[in-house]
Amino acid sequence: MGLWLEVAAGGLITGGIYAVVAMGLNLQYGLMRIMNISHGEFLMVGAYFTWWAHTVWRVDPLVFLPVVAIVLFVAGLVIYRLCFRRIARAAASAEVVEARSLLIGFGLMFTVQNLAYLVFGADMRGYSYLADPVEIAGARFGQNRLLVFGFAVAASLALLAALRYTLFGKAVRAMMQSPTGAQLVGIDTGFLHPAVFGAGIALAGVAGALLSMIYEITPGMGEPYTVTALIVITLGGLGSAGGCLLGGFLLGLVEAFGMYWTSASLKMLLSYSVFIGVLLIRPKGLFAR
Amino acid sequence: MQRNWGLKALGVLALAVASIAPSIAQDGPVRIGYAISRTGPFAPGAQMTQEPAFILWAEQVNAAGGLNVKGKKRKIELIGIDDRSEVETMVRTVEKLMTTDKVDLILPPWGTGMNFAVMPLLAKHGYPVLAPTATGRKLIEMKNPYFFPLLQQPDRIMRALADMLAAQGVKTVAAIYVDELFGLENIGALEDALKAKGIKLVEKKSHPLDVKDLSPVINDIKSKNPDAFIGLTYPPDTFLVTGQSKQLGFNPKIFYTAVGSAFPIYRDKMGAATVEGVMGIGSWNAKVSAESKTYFDAYVKRFQKEPDRWGSPHAWAGMQILQHAIEKVGLDRKAIRDYIANTEHNTMIGKIRFQNGENVTTPGMVLQWQKGEFEVVWPKDRATAKPVYPKAAWK
Repeated sequence: MGLWLEVAAGGLITGGIYAVVAMGLNLQYGLMRIMNISHGEFLMVGAYFTWWAHTVWRVDPLVFLPVVAIVLFVAGLVIYRLCFRRIARAAASAEVVEARSLLIGFGLMFTVQNLAYLVFGADMRGYSYLADPVEIAGARFGQNRLLVFGFAVAASLALLAALRYTLFGKAVRAMMQSPTGAQLVGIDTGFLHPAVFGAGIALAGVAGALLSMIYEITPGMGEPYTVTALIVITLGGLGSAGGCLLGGFLLGLVEAFGMYWTSASLKMLLSYSVFIGVLLIRPKGLFAR
Repeated sequence: MQRNWGLKALGVLALAVASIAPSIAQDGPVRIGYAISRTGPFAPGAQMTQEPAFILWAEQVNAAGGLNVKGKKRKIELIGIDDRSEVETMVRTVEKLMTTDKVDLILPPWGTGMNFAVMPLLAKHGYPVLAPTATGRKLIEMKNPYFFPLLQQPDRIMRALADMLAAQGVKTVAAIYVDELFGLENIGALEDALKAKGIKLVEKKSHPLDVKDLSPVINDIKSKNPDAFIGLTYPPDTFLVTGQSKQLGFNPKIFYTAVGSAFPIYRDKMGAATVEGVMGIGSWNAKVSAESKTYFDAYVKRFQKEPDRWGSPHAWAGMQILQHAIEKVGLDRKAIRDYIANTEHNTMIGKIRFQNGENVTTPGMVLQWQKGEFEVVWPKDRATAKPVYPKAAWK
């Protein structure tokens, strides 16, 4: 029984990591239909930024998290201004935004990734942080993994609450449902739209900073995370903060138990089976409204 | 009209230059081309184990006045092109280097899969290649007369490992392996080697390359309590299984991981205290000889990072063999091939002789991280330190 709990807890923790990876894209694609395929690249930037601060200045990665968030938020605003503002304004419908932003996202992906190769080289990097285990009820977990899990839960709940209960959240949801209508009732979409996009980039950066505490980093690390993020937000329901967290958990649990009972080699098969299964039963995702 | 004339004049000029250029080049540098991964998923490995050796070699030879080709000193011109970790790009680039650019020699791409893909071109156009990062019986079974893999083959490495395990009195082993040609071939070789030594394999489990969590597998293996853990892993999972074994408190008497354990970043990312006592695949360290120390220091000075303890020294040995061959027989590629195939070479990693396309002189070895250095602990005649057994609990 103890072992089962351990496997389940391990699955939840991995699920939390998936949720953290997906959160930023959920804001951008889920809420605004901006298909930012370069999501993983900003995660990579956050990871490198944290690694660099930690190895050069000896800054504690956890203390550095807010800095990563602020810097990437500002970078997000700039990128929005340069790349996405025009298509968001000119597009007749959400579908057009989606198609056009996809192309821009590809461009950004190559640019950001190759910039990282230029600046940091292709070498693998990493540092050891909170790598020691903690024992909880007889089971052992990595501190850094628990930290990511905790962050995933806290950030998801905070986002959920912000979107549902605050005026700001209502404005964001209104903007998503009808940009023109939102403007008519006095919502400043000219401010809100870039701000939500910037928050998405900031969350990607924070996710990268957290992952750099666990995994080694390379300039090419982002692409697979973009795929993970897309699966998780589609599974949970586009734009749903709670769905993102639960989608991540579901994926993590299925993988953990699947790997324990069958073989780790079947991991991809298992996660895609769940994905396809969910889409067959609920095409809009588990928590779509 | 005016602009068109200008363009045409430029075109004619360019053609003229292009047609003169080859006659100048004949007395110019020795042109050596290669495609290698500078971006994409293979880039970290290629930039860790292979391309720096090419660059350092060319720079050192040029600084000494050049290659001695038939009594003439000629500089080396390296033409290195990024293959973006794509097999098609690599094959196209190498074929262009051979046919359009007509380079004098070709250096190998990075990794077993890439080398497998380039082999037909080598035989077709007659370019001999010494490959430092390709291992697998499948490569040798191709019987390609122009391809010389420098690494030890899986059966050699696994036999050496089993010998070492038996010498330490290990009775039970649990193994994991990555779902790639490397993992599949090595687990087969390991099973044979363990059987020959009467060591029991209590568990073997495979995993995909992009795995992010191995705790279910480690928990399962931990419950079987084996004497030794053998991870036939690639770099991402080598790091992952080390970190998670520590976190889950899995403390076997021998903890062995494969590709990546010889990387300095493995020690630096996990922490020297954490990897203390971890064993793995490798061939060499700077303590092996004075020549090795010189190479190590020159490498660190040039690239501001340490070379790894497996691929890098093999890559350097390959350049040494190539240089000897050119200085002996000139740039006739068939003659270079024959020289490589039929001579016993002195290199930084010891004598190398090829037999049916296999490096039959470099033995399989086991290395162990001890106080920040990856020490050769097996076989005894190559050892730079004694094996520490059993491995202390994770720190």
